[in-house]
Amino acid sequence: MTRRRFIQKIIGTILAAVAGFVFIAKKASPRKFIRAIKLKKYPGSLKPLQKIESQGKWGG
Amino acid sequence: MKVQCGLCPKKCLIEDGQSGECRVRINIDGTLRTVVYGYPCSIHVDPIEKKPLFHFLPGTTILSVATVGCNLHCKNCQNWEISQANPEDSQAYACPPEQLVQLTRQYNCPSLAYTYTDPVIYYEYTYDTAKLARAANIRNVLVTAGYINEGPWRQLLKYVDAANIDLKGITDDFYRRVCSGTLKPVQDALVIAKASGILVEVTNLIIPTLNDKPEEIRQLVRWIKTNMGSDTPLHFSGFYPRYKMRHLPETSLKTLETARQIGLSEGLDYVYIGNLQSKEGENTYCPGCKKLLIERVGYTILQNQLKDGCCPDCGREIYGVWK
Repeated sequence: MTRRRFIQKIIGTILAAVAGFVFIAKKASPRKFIRAIKLKKYPGSLKPLQKIESQGKWGG
Repeated sequence: MKVQCGLCPKKCLIEDGQSGECRVRINIDGTLRTVVYGYPCSIHVDPIEKKPLFHFLPGTTILSVATVGCNLHCKNCQNWEISQANPEDSQAYACPPEQLVQLTRQYNCPSLAYTYTDPVIYYEYTYDTAKLARAANIRNVLVTAGYINEGPWRQLLKYVDAANIDLKGITDDFYRRVCSGTLKPVQDALVIAKASGILVEVTNLIIPTLNDKPEEIRQLVRWIKTNMGSDTPLHFSGFYPRYKMRHLPETSLKTLETARQIGLSEGLDYVYIGNLQSKEGENTYCPGCKKLLIERVGYTILQNQLKDGCCPDCGREIYGVWK
């Protein structure tokens, strides 16, 4: 192996390692929290407000 | 264009026109949208003991609200009809934050609970309502599984007064197999909430054969004591066969009483039994002199002996928000 080829191999290995590290670090680091925007219309159906004063049937 | 949601540890990478795992946060043309903001599927006036919160304004009512959806998919979910529902298949009220605060006042509730499913997934609705409620001198309560990222959690806690947070198990394996989640983010959320100064109570649902081993319960109790303090109220709750876990039996009173004894013997000050009536498991006793302070049957308070948040006999301060 020539000296030039040897240096090229080392640089290639270092670049690959740096790219891998950046990729993993990007995935692992927490993303900045961005608020979701309110949708104007509910995709389901709407019902009138009723029976609020009664205890909920759901747990919690 | 894909959008990544940063709200919960699932960090869903959402394709255009699709929703995240919670079903209610969707990508529309590269923008993250919440479809349930201002559209709760459930609003009720509950006793605060139902949350359960035993150390926060006992004997009061609380306006309780939920939208459909959840970021966890617990196989035992007791509210699965709403937590695992698609918004497009559901019915909801049109109730913006201002109206929710107004309803809380109208029904003379000193506090407002974001509950039934999980307030984490209707985060923006919870946050904006809590902010308005705080300004109107209404207390905010979260009933949650605590599966949320640190940033949004800390932001929300600024407007929260109390929370009941589930610690569903003490192994990562349990969270992965039963809840489709992981343990660490929940533990982090618990520690952050307690350290933030809000009132925190913890609920552990005991499911026969899955998380009912005494060693596991002891491990859970020790974790709470070490990381959150011995004054943290812990509710051991009974399981009923529901959703995808209809094949398992109900939790026996004996198992819950054993769990309670483990909690007390390990040094927790307040350990309760929920979903099943027990003689002593619903009462609050002074950790110092053992005097009966608050006697409960179900969600009803039979007597409350506390004096300015302290034991009337030995004067010990009892963890809680009492007025």
